Amino acid sequence: MTRIILGLAAAVSLSALAATPALARDQIRIVGSSTVYPFTTAVAESFGKASGMKTPVVESTGTGGGFKLFCAGVGDEHPDITNASRAIKKSEFEACQKNGVTDIVEIKVGFDGLTIANSASGPDASFTKQQVFMALAKQIPDKDGKLIDNPYKMWNEIDPSLPAEKIEVLGPPPTSGTRDSFAELVMEKGAEKFESLAALKKADAKAFETVWKTIRTDGAYVEAGENDNLIVQKLEANPQAFGVFGFSFLEANEGKIKGAKVEGMAPSFETVSSGEYKVARPLFIYVKKQHVGQVPGMTEFLGEYTSAKAMGDDGYLADKGLIPLPADQAASSAAVVKEMSTLTADKVM
Amino acid sequence: MSATLTLSRPNRKLRRQIEAVVLVLLACASGVAVLTTIGIVLSVVYESLRFFSEVPVWKFLFGTEWAPTAEPGAFGIIPLLGGTLLITLIAILVAGPLGLLSAVYLAEYANLKARRIIKPVLELLAGIPTVVLGFFAALTVAPFIRRAGEAFGLSVASESALAAGLVMGMMIVPLISSLSDDIINAVPQSLRDGSYALGATQSETIKKVVLPAALPGIVSAFILATSRAIGETMIVVMAAGLAANLTFNPLAAVTTVTVQIAALLVGDQEFDSAKTLSAFALGLILFIITLALNVVALRVVRKYREAYE
Amino acid sequence: MNSSDLTAKRRSAERRFKYYGLAAIAVTVIFLAILILDIVVKALPAFTVNQLVLPVTIDATKVDASNPAAGDFPALLKETLAKEFPDVQSRGDKKKLNALLSARAADGLQEQVASDPSLIGKTIAVPISLSSGADLHLKGFTDAQLDEKQAAWLAALKDKGFIQHGFAWSFFTQGDSREPESAGIKGALIGSILVICVTLMFALPLGVAAALYLEEFAPKNRMTDLIEVNINNLAAVPSIIFGLLGLAVFLNGFGLPRSTALVGGLVLALLVLPTIIIASRAAIRSVPPSIKEAALGVGASHMQAVFHHVLPLAVPGILTGTILGVARALGETAPLLMIGMIAFIVDVPHGFTDAATVLPVQVFLWSDLPEAAFKSRTAAAILVLLVLLFCINAVAIYLRNKFERRW
Repeated sequence: MTRIILGLAAAVSLSALAATPALARDQIRIVGSSTVYPFTTAVAESFGKASGMKTPVVESTGTGGGFKLFCAGVGDEHPDITNASRAIKKSEFEACQKNGVTDIVEIKVGFDGLTIANSASGPDASFTKQQVFMALAKQIPDKDGKLIDNPYKMWNEIDPSLPAEKIEVLGPPPTSGTRDSFAELVMEKGAEKFESLAALKKADAKAFETVWKTIRTDGAYVEAGENDNLIVQKLEANPQAFGVFGFSFLEANEGKIKGAKVEGMAPSFETVSSGEYKVARPLFIYVKKQHVGQVPGMTEFLGEYTSAKAMGDDGYLADKGLIPLPADQAASSAAVVKEMSTLTADKVM
Repeated sequence: MSATLTLSRPNRKLRRQIEAVVLVLLACASGVAVLTTIGIVLSVVYESLRFFSEVPVWKFLFGTEWAPTAEPGAFGIIPLLGGTLLITLIAILVAGPLGLLSAVYLAEYANLKARRIIKPVLELLAGIPTVVLGFFAALTVAPFIRRAGEAFGLSVASESALAAGLVMGMMIVPLISSLSDDIINAVPQSLRDGSYALGATQSETIKKVVLPAALPGIVSAFILATSRAIGETMIVVMAAGLAANLTFNPLAAVTTVTVQIAALLVGDQEFDSAKTLSAFALGLILFIITLALNVVALRVVRKYREAYE
Repeated sequence: MNSSDLTAKRRSAERRFKYYGLAAIAVTVIFLAILILDIVVKALPAFTVNQLVLPVTIDATKVDASNPAAGDFPALLKETLAKEFPDVQSRGDKKKLNALLSARAADGLQEQVASDPSLIGKTIAVPISLSSGADLHLKGFTDAQLDEKQAAWLAALKDKGFIQHGFAWSFFTQGDSREPESAGIKGALIGSILVICVTLMFALPLGVAAALYLEEFAPKNRMTDLIEVNINNLAAVPSIIFGLLGLAVFLNGFGLPRSTALVGGLVLALLVLPTIIIASRAAIRSVPPSIKEAALGVGASHMQAVFHHVLPLAVPGILTGTILGVARALGETAPLLMIGMIAFIVDVPHGFTDAATVLPVQVFLWSDLPEAAFKSRTAAAILVLLVLLFCINAVAIYLRNKFERRW
């Protein structure tokens, strides 16, 4: 009997304890993009090992989800840093301001190339962005410029130079930052090549956006989950299929899969950082300056991130597939960390 | 005990007070389960209502297109329900015969020793975490089905409904077999004896007498298994895709309600957008479906029990 | 058709039917066997490791005696390795040579020197982690992403006797890592234990109390009926819905810290509560009424009779049910994904409010990573999880057989 009462008392007191906020945090919390995740985790681990401080906890929530959590407020329960595979949007910046997150530091950390890859045993391929758009958009313009449902089933129906295989592309789901980039870097650019769509862009930007953002759902494009490793294995099992993913995954799985040429340029470390390979995007981390000094290790962590041994040409992030910034941009990122210069409204688009 | 007997009057009063307090505590404990249900309903319904203020209910329930991030988003649940149904159907087609036949063998043919070996093996399968089954489905079963399909000249999607359905079916075999086993054992021996007395063989007795008598219970076991398959998450998250195709081709890729909930909430968390809120609306639908199935199953069982008592 | 034909037909139908049953069981058992075999085969490479044992001179110019932890140990290792291959001169080749080493290769050396600065200036032989690609190559996986030059260098190192093969203890002594060769399951294992502790702390007292109330004290009215129906239905609610509950109530409502064992344990406690209540009620019900009646007969109050006599006799049954509930909680993944337990967490958690992950979530996380070596890590983590579950179930069966009493 007494034991039961004790047990109940313990349960009640524990729930009371649970209701009070947690003690001041001594561990950095990072959320955000799944694309930046592998790089930030690598830095977090090195930082933890070298500094003897607690290793930051990194959660992959997607770029948009990261900003949502990041901008929710200042305090222990809100993350300190968010990873982003695109720059912060005006609406997100305003949400941050509204919730008291007024001092945000934007740090550009490198580039990520998007690749269209297939199994190493599959055919070599070379696409133009327009061809990819024609293969994957839900609606494409016909000869007269009228929008029709995408009729293509085989690559060579689009262009005889493409392989005579069924169109099957495994790619990221709508929630992924990679999907946003893919749409913006490939689909939008491909759509603009059509005269009728270029005209539509001028006339009705919203309608144009719907055209390039809407990917077909009849099975040619397979939303394969955030699990890129599974995509790689599925590609190996199915040499006819192509996959869309970050350059880092192509590098990590060299020998198993190979990247297709886009606009005549094969994806490689050199072609992406030089800008010759046109399907690349900058990666960022955003820091809550108000937490610097409150949560121990923030300055040191950012120092580690922007150090040459991490972000530099021969740094360990390059080994993980991050494409390093050109020297001038790297210097300016390091300067931002040093001065902790905050983002102002006019710099946000 | 002797101490109790010698209690003086004020002590007895104190005891009664303590007992009253303990009784209230016990009652509260049983209330936690009710609170949990209320918590589930409230949290899911609240967010769902916010969702339905942006997307009309009828568009959600009868829309045939699911594309939450398109501009404007399409939130038709039909392809998700179709995918869920397809995978569940495959699972039941696998687990139904296997589970039922195993149960019949265990209940009617197996001797005590065989039962002692077979039952723990089935329990072992039931105890395997679904994340493990998902790993197996995605990395072993799906490629195998793909290769097998290609050998017959069939085009199989890398994330076929068949792979997820097969493994899910194996997951619910133990559920069906153990429930059916109990039900078959509960059929009175007198019915069997009557059948034997009329000259029927054992298999004839099982098919013509035992199974019909156990039918309501078996039906409820199937319903519970269906409910379990509909609510299963990890296998489909890992082995089925996110492609919202409305198809009944088991070799094609489909998605399910649970996969979408996980994808919408783990991938991104924009709490005010229809996209994230739709996860809660999906949760509500899932909750209602599994609840309804469970209630039906319990009804069927209760009716069946009355027939023999 | 004469009667003997008919009899033969019926007999063979009889046999056939029996074989169907056997076949069904065989299919299930074979599936289970293939599943476990597949995972064991995939997991095996993760349990052994190849390490490079090279004499390293702790160069005083690279490691400052006043702050040894900040020394550039990776460069030290790279130099040592380069000395073995003086012909490797071009930048690209040097990079390839260094790629044989793990990105975390210097961690062990750094720790050793930091704890014993007197080593500076001396030459010590320490085991150095190879990259997962090199490790896999040495294990005979030829598709392990090494090119011919790297394979030749590795073979040379092996010929010189610098490669040491052994059991991968680090898999059990380290937390998560971005490098497969240094990723371990200790963090997830401790996280699982912490979560289960929270789950037990809440679910066991609540479950037993609720069972006692419903079985012994509750008045038979509509309210009690409602609670009963509710518990039965709650047991069948999909686990992912409990994740939604945890997200909406514990995180967004109470503001509990994300990704912690506390929140994970609470969600799982609610998840297994119905199981524990149902099992406990069955155990309490199976205690014969004569025992309670005897206690009541000698003047005990109802509550005394229940707590002093019925409950102790029901304990084995309650424990068995609880253990099975714990086993279920231990393997649960989906609800924990919703409350931020799917995160990169290197440090082993020390308390209920530290960021933590659990074994099944670790499995899910690793299955997501691109490096080939993570596949075997994933399978190995699964194996550990299965062994743990097997032990727990064995304990439950042992308890059931030892203490189960038939009245």
